[in-house]
Amino acid sequence: MTTRVLIAEDEPHIVESLSFVLQRSGYEVASVFDGEAAMSQLRSDPPDMMILDVMLPKLNGFEVLKQVKSDPSLRSIPVIILTAKGQTQDRRMAEEIGVDGFMTKPFSNREIVDEVRRLAPE
Amino acid sequence: MSYRSAIGPRIRERRRALGITQSALAAGIGISASYLNLIESGRRNIGGAVLKRIAAALDVGIDELDGAAQRRLADDLASLAIEPVLTELRLDPESAERFASQHEPWAQALVRLHRISLDRLEAVRALSDRLNHDPFLGDAVHSMLSRVAAIRSSSEILDTVDDLEPKQRERFLSIIASESTRLSDVAQALAAFFDKAHTETRSVTPAEEVDDFLLERGNHFPALEQAALDFRAAAGIEGDCGEGRLADYLAEVHDVRVRVGPSDAPEAAAAHPYATWDPDSRTLTLPDGVSRATRRFELAKFAAQVFHQGRPVSAEIAASPLLTSDAAKRRATRVLVSYLAAAILMPYDVVLEAAIAARYDLDRLARRFDASFEQICHRLVTLQRPGAQAIPFAFLRVDAAGFVTKRYPLPHLLMPRHGSACPLWPVYQALTSPGTLVRQLSEFPNGARFLMLARTDEKARPAFGMPRRLVSVMLACDALHADRTVYGDGIDWSSHAPAIPVGPNCRLCVRHDCWYRQEDPIIDA
Repeated sequence: MTTRVLIAEDEPHIVESLSFVLQRSGYEVASVFDGEAAMSQLRSDPPDMMILDVMLPKLNGFEVLKQVKSDPSLRSIPVIILTAKGQTQDRRMAEEIGVDGFMTKPFSNREIVDEVRRLAPE
Repeated sequence: MSYRSAIGPRIRERRRALGITQSALAAGIGISASYLNLIESGRRNIGGAVLKRIAAALDVGIDELDGAAQRRLADDLASLAIEPVLTELRLDPESAERFASQHEPWAQALVRLHRISLDRLEAVRALSDRLNHDPFLGDAVHSMLSRVAAIRSSSEILDTVDDLEPKQRERFLSIIASESTRLSDVAQALAAFFDKAHTETRSVTPAEEVDDFLLERGNHFPALEQAALDFRAAAGIEGDCGEGRLADYLAEVHDVRVRVGPSDAPEAAAAHPYATWDPDSRTLTLPDGVSRATRRFELAKFAAQVFHQGRPVSAEIAASPLLTSDAAKRRATRVLVSYLAAAILMPYDVVLEAAIAARYDLDRLARRFDASFEQICHRLVTLQRPGAQAIPFAFLRVDAAGFVTKRYPLPHLLMPRHGSACPLWPVYQALTSPGTLVRQLSEFPNGARFLMLARTDEKARPAFGMPRRLVSVMLACDALHADRTVYGDGIDWSSHAPAIPVGPNCRLCVRHDCWYRQEDPIIDA
């Protein structure tokens, strides 16, 4: 069965190129552009793992992460946080909430595919 | 020559400078020329109405004639002596008066330069703080990195994917083109922003050195935590550590007599609410007019200083390259002695477990450890051992004048080093109702949200008739952690819930239309 990755990111061009490289690496990709859409997608059709931007409209990435990690039915979904600012502080905060992986922009396609592969459930 | 007796010569000098004769001036103010002569030669005292009339006739302020201006000048000059960069010159404040009277214009020049340098220093600090937390900069950097991420990712696809279809190739090229344009716009905006140049600052005063020292160490000292456990083992203390247990230890091991009551030197006891040590009789006198928690803390501080000859603390101080001046080392020593005392009274694992169990209910924790509100808050801030961390808290203490007397910032929560913070912080609201805990959800201009908890307590005052001694203490943590505390119950902590719009302080704040603004912002961006 194909691993399904949900990308929550409000920059459409990043979503586009990320989707392209992940699909080429054999993943099935869905994307949402804000935190609330991410939550409803997670609840209605949970993915196998998630790439989550910090600066999302409506609910920010930390809030989404917090809800995921405090919901017993979602907690096991690996989450990679994408951040572009205040990196050390963001990393610390993400770790405090219980993030699984961490990527800073600008990342290389290889790095992100490797990280997805590392965290993808068997 | 004293200032007062110099009035006459000053009048004479001013009169001559204006080219007025003695008799003309005397006639103008309605006294005899011979009386004016006595005044000018310093043989008659002068004041009141006559001095006022002379000052008016000579078109100068009274303060310039009676010496008040010169006295102020001498005082301002003397304040140079305490400037850290000048201390090694060992300036004698007493000689400032002589210098100011003999070389008045030079003295004025020095004082003016001193003021300018203080203003500049303040501006540079504020600028540097402001740049670190400027929402515009944060947004610009974020946008730039997002643009670069899109460009990098698309160009890597073009570079590495061989079987790209022409349509896909076109698509990724157009992404690169449009993101490059946006990147140029951000870069230009950034360049414009940095046209207002800024300078890196470094700490200069002892207080700032200590500040930097604590920040660098994350306000957590594993060696002191270990020393506290060693002390408890050596003193045979298990569980709660009472006043009696500490006194017994000091008597048995260090031959120290502990007594509670007014000091043998009454003026010393009245001067401060701390313990006094008499090395001759080896007696430690604890003040009798303070709370039990304070007394026990004083005792623990003393124990922290004699345990292993104070080596746990002095080793930390000696190892830090950030503490350069003796004053900073002394100050840091006091801070670490208090740290060790708190760790002795409230061992790390015990407090952490209790804090998590009580969901950080500060009143409950204070009762549980028989500690003051401030002591508990202070201890919670230090619980940052990797792997066994409490919620990261910032700490702030202000006096009744609103002045910041102790602070421990979080990396992303800016706390002003000087003067006061934002009047909308609950640490100030708490001053209006001592004893009541004030809870507030605060939002900073960059969107960061914090749970702020503040309480004002009344400390012992020196005597009836003296003003109340109020100390307001505040803890703050990221709003995302609010649900781990009792203070998160019943409140909407999500990022769109209403919050109090706060800032760091007026000088650094970008909220131009704030009702509470008292000072203009340092940069008008």
